Amino acid sequence: MRIERRLRQPRWLIVAVPAGSLVFAFFAAGLVLYATGHNALSSYRQIIDAAFLNSGALGQTLTQATPLAFTGLAAAAAFRMRLFNIGAEGQLFMGAITADAAGLYLGGHGWPTALVIFAMVIAGCAGGAAWALIPGALRAFFKTNEIITSLMLNYVAAYVLTYLVFNTESYWRQTKGFNASVFPTSKTLPNDALWPSAMIHVRGGIALPLGAGIAVLVAFLLWFLFTRTRFGFEAQVLGDSPRAAQYAGMRTRRKILAVMGISGAVAGLGGASQVGDFAHMLDADPNGLQKQYYGYTGIVVAALARYNPLAVVVVAFLIGALQNAGNTLQGADFPSGLVGVMQGIILFSALGGELLVRYRVRVGRTMPATEAA
Amino acid sequence: MTVQSEKDRRGADGAPPPPAVEMRGIVKRFPGVLANDRVDFEAAAGEVHALLGENGAGKSTLSNILTGLYRPDAGEIFIDGEPVQFHSPRDALDARIFMVHQHFRLVETFTVAENVVLGDHRGEGRTFRLRHRAIEQRVAELSKRYGLAVDPRARVWQLSLGEQQRVEILKALYREARILILDEPTAVLTPQEADVLFETLREMAVEGRTVVFISHKLHEVKAVADRVTVLRGGRSVATVSAADATLRSLASLMVGRELDSVQPARARTAGELVLELTDVWSDGDRGDSAVRGASLVVHGGEIVAVAGVAGNGQRELAETVAGMRRATRGEILVCGKAIRAGDPRSAIAAGVAYVPEDRLGTGVAPSLSIASNLALKGYRERSSSHGPLLRIGRIRERAVELIQRYSIAAPGPGAPARLLSGGNLQKVVLAREFSGKPRLLIAASPTRGLDVGAIETVHAYLREAAADGVGVLLISEDLDEILLLADRVAVMYEGAIVGETSREEADVEEIGLLMAGGQDPRAD
Amino acid sequence: MNNSLLVVVLASGVAYGTPLLYGALGELLAERSGVLNLGVEGMMLVGAVMGFWTVQRLHADTALSLAAAVGVAAIAGMAMAAIHAFLVITLRASQIVSGLALTIFAGAAGLSSYLGNDLNLADNPARHAFSAAVFPASMQRLPVVGPIIFGQNVLVYASWVCVVGVSLYLSRTRLGLNVRAVGEAPASADAMGINVTAYRYAHTLAGGAFAGVAGATFTLAITPQWVSGITGGAGWIAIALVIFAFWRPALCLVGAYFFGALQALSPQLQARGINLGPTELWANSLPYVMTVVVLVFVSASGARRRLGAPASLGLPYVREER
Repeated sequence: MRIERRLRQPRWLIVAVPAGSLVFAFFAAGLVLYATGHNALSSYRQIIDAAFLNSGALGQTLTQATPLAFTGLAAAAAFRMRLFNIGAEGQLFMGAITADAAGLYLGGHGWPTALVIFAMVIAGCAGGAAWALIPGALRAFFKTNEIITSLMLNYVAAYVLTYLVFNTESYWRQTKGFNASVFPTSKTLPNDALWPSAMIHVRGGIALPLGAGIAVLVAFLLWFLFTRTRFGFEAQVLGDSPRAAQYAGMRTRRKILAVMGISGAVAGLGGASQVGDFAHMLDADPNGLQKQYYGYTGIVVAALARYNPLAVVVVAFLIGALQNAGNTLQGADFPSGLVGVMQGIILFSALGGELLVRYRVRVGRTMPATEAA
Repeated sequence: MTVQSEKDRRGADGAPPPPAVEMRGIVKRFPGVLANDRVDFEAAAGEVHALLGENGAGKSTLSNILTGLYRPDAGEIFIDGEPVQFHSPRDALDARIFMVHQHFRLVETFTVAENVVLGDHRGEGRTFRLRHRAIEQRVAELSKRYGLAVDPRARVWQLSLGEQQRVEILKALYREARILILDEPTAVLTPQEADVLFETLREMAVEGRTVVFISHKLHEVKAVADRVTVLRGGRSVATVSAADATLRSLASLMVGRELDSVQPARARTAGELVLELTDVWSDGDRGDSAVRGASLVVHGGEIVAVAGVAGNGQRELAETVAGMRRATRGEILVCGKAIRAGDPRSAIAAGVAYVPEDRLGTGVAPSLSIASNLALKGYRERSSSHGPLLRIGRIRERAVELIQRYSIAAPGPGAPARLLSGGNLQKVVLAREFSGKPRLLIAASPTRGLDVGAIETVHAYLREAAADGVGVLLISEDLDEILLLADRVAVMYEGAIVGETSREEADVEEIGLLMAGGQDPRAD
Repeated sequence: MNNSLLVVVLASGVAYGTPLLYGALGELLAERSGVLNLGVEGMMLVGAVMGFWTVQRLHADTALSLAAAVGVAAIAGMAMAAIHAFLVITLRASQIVSGLALTIFAGAAGLSSYLGNDLNLADNPARHAFSAAVFPASMQRLPVVGPIIFGQNVLVYASWVCVVGVSLYLSRTRLGLNVRAVGEAPASADAMGINVTAYRYAHTLAGGAFAGVAGATFTLAITPQWVSGITGGAGWIAIALVIFAFWRPALCLVGAYFFGALQALSPQLQARGINLGPTELWANSLPYVMTVVVLVFVSASGARRRLGAPASLGLPYVREER
């Protein structure tokens, strides 16, 4: 059996393979369900109900999908350039911290809501970007591999997050009130700092959080940046062939810093959304935000979307639906862990299918290596 | 030591023994080129046999067949008179054939001893538990015996290239190789190290081994070999005794051109000075210096060709002038202005265009579209971008224009560059470089791997560039091409320009001599 | 004396550090062959749940049950590793994405929880558990060394044997030499007749086995119970540990106990009512920050060759289609 690189990637294959792997994944997960004594079809029906059809389901799906869109976009932005930013998790936390501070301060001082939200957005981006620039700078100047450095910083960020509320009387911590002395909590955002949602009057009303709208906007901006600007062009070349980029006189270091910064900023924006849209406070509970693993799941989303920002939004929605179903259905009836299993199988299939897109598999007698002149 | 001497190998009736290795009628084809065209080669036990030829003559292909990396399309191989078939490198290793490649097959973080014993399944390395002490001792023994001084406990990355080569030879000795092939071994050696190597090889031959020495350097071949087989254009041209041959006779066999080659009548007036190189030095990839004091000038409107066998610093010279490699010493002036060392952008801004040797790896971004590649250097220009935004439509239009003008056969401007054939890819590179209105064009091996039609096209473009007043620096291993195109011919050998002549006064034999390290008879 | 903060922390450090050590040893083997496996957390969790299940199901005496459980855990880990191995070695998929996919597939929100809940493993303590009953009580009472060295369970002692074993394997055996060659220079190894693919598969699977045992350490020794996500991120720490230890088994031991001690520090401080304020944040973050520092040092100083990662780590090997 020989595996040789394809010269041409037929269009249909590029769509067929991910779609096919999705079908395969459902099939394979169904087998797992069946083998462990569950009714696959009814489980799938439950998922669809919990994700989309039940009342309030879509809203909850959006709650899951929004952060995934941000972390997915963050991962896509970096991975496109072969910068493996695994740190979206930590960058999201840092963004949440800075955005919360902005919201608490400005909202508490009576600034108009629009400005407060704007400030939270900026603060969130700044927090995430700064955190991402650490592995970025290490990579740009010392050629240190960004995978492990960004991963390690996720842990540090988690500790910072917990520390700010649980271990210290920081600005973020609620110190007044009876409960405060019993169990550490973070301050609640003042009303002026709460992010609005748009009511869509379909099926009894769906609340579209502001963050979701921002995510879509960011997706377009990223898409535009990468396909229509000089910056994006240079990033494309650098990701494809660093040697050709050097040949063309492009500046590598700056590009690395810039892309990592953008990636971190988007993740940080996700953190701001967490604070402003959903939690309305800084969720520093070790069993809360830190157990959601939005950052890591975002990478999965990006990979499935083949790092295309517009596709990321769609995939984030679907994966968010799956996550939502998993959370909602947890109980004796519905096998917990099924969500992870399905996501894993989908990703495995996509990875395996990728081979078919890039390479052609030929079964036959082994021929000796020949040189292409 | 189990290598048999000549006497032992004679048959019972005293007839002369079969050659240690014989290859008959070897044919090997690659897409677009016939690398070996019914080549015959034989070498006897106890001799040092040189395989001489230019690049592309078929030497490497032939030796790769002998070491099991390639399988011949036709022909037979005999070892000690017995026909053999090699299905993989392991078969050749088992037949006690060992090759020292130009790019060493070593593990840099391992010690010398570990490298020697890696993959060995017959000697000290066959045990489960490695006895390092015993292995190091054996390596030290061999090392002493053959004068290959190297510390068995040293890590390979600490060693100089010459010492690394000794490790490769020790690998061969450790495996009791009967046939040892060395591919351009002196490329990485100083003259003194080369002498030591020759002694070692002579000694190995005296023991009854067969040493095949692949080279393009005449005086070395004459110094170390017993016999010389000359390959040219995929064919074996002659096998002569080294003692009887002269440098000149070998040169003419190797280069073998008839002197009535085409002399294009061309009166080109050279314009102003476009490139001035003064004693330029720069480092190669392995840290040693590849360009050692090159001095050269190019005027606008003339084609200056740098001839030489690959590996003498030409690629590094091209990269240095194009800004991709830092010059460690010397001065580079483009139109009178110095360019910043190691900064391609400053070279591009100064009007340097560069058609690199490695089209696919350096000259284009393979997954990007043809249109993007055509705009690779010019995307910052007003014609292609509006401030930070790309003018995608305009880029596409330009691409369509260029595709038409240069007759690039492509599915469309949006197709990825990697789909193009070599010739069309080169056209894309040329189209892009010309459209930048350069003052100096560096073309490194521009017609390598191209078919005849594409070659003619490229030649036409180079002439056109010169006619437009561009200074062309052509680097090529193909003497034909050089004589066809060049106004002046310089020869590069071991990092320096060793000779220069105008086209009219060029003498092929002399150039061949210079290319191979012989003396320029006109030098005083 | 033996109740002092230092001794307790060190003794707990050894205990907590043991799964880290197993996980790191496994990942070290895989990475030495050139394969990066980010799925350690997932493999550990599957090993944890399957080991626990075995011990609950098996009606045999303690020693046999535990031995079988560890064996099953190892096999479970290997099975997970096999998926990753197939994807990245044969199908040449991205090692990073595949490893992450494995973590999601097998992790706390995936297969391990699926199995744990389906098999009703929660809420019951383990039927048999590893205990500190290897050395007589008199030895365990010795000052300082008593609790730290003699007061541990079999898995801890076995891990020491493994460290020695892996270390000798890599440095003194022919197979170890070969795998190091595969990781450093697969092309050279291939040219010398070594089967790169086979070595990569073998060592990735071995990594899975070790990870499985690491997971079993949680459910059979540390907290002899099963809870979803019981490893709490140990898999990620193990990955960092390999780098921190410069890919050397002996340093993995030092690092594992260092990380383990830091983990033990927090609860001990709280139990004693000591609040160190910001120092605590530093203490928790220290292992991670140090890993980053080590990495930067290695890449910036050019000591990469002597101290750095196997050169082909993360890259698929293809015999050149020249």
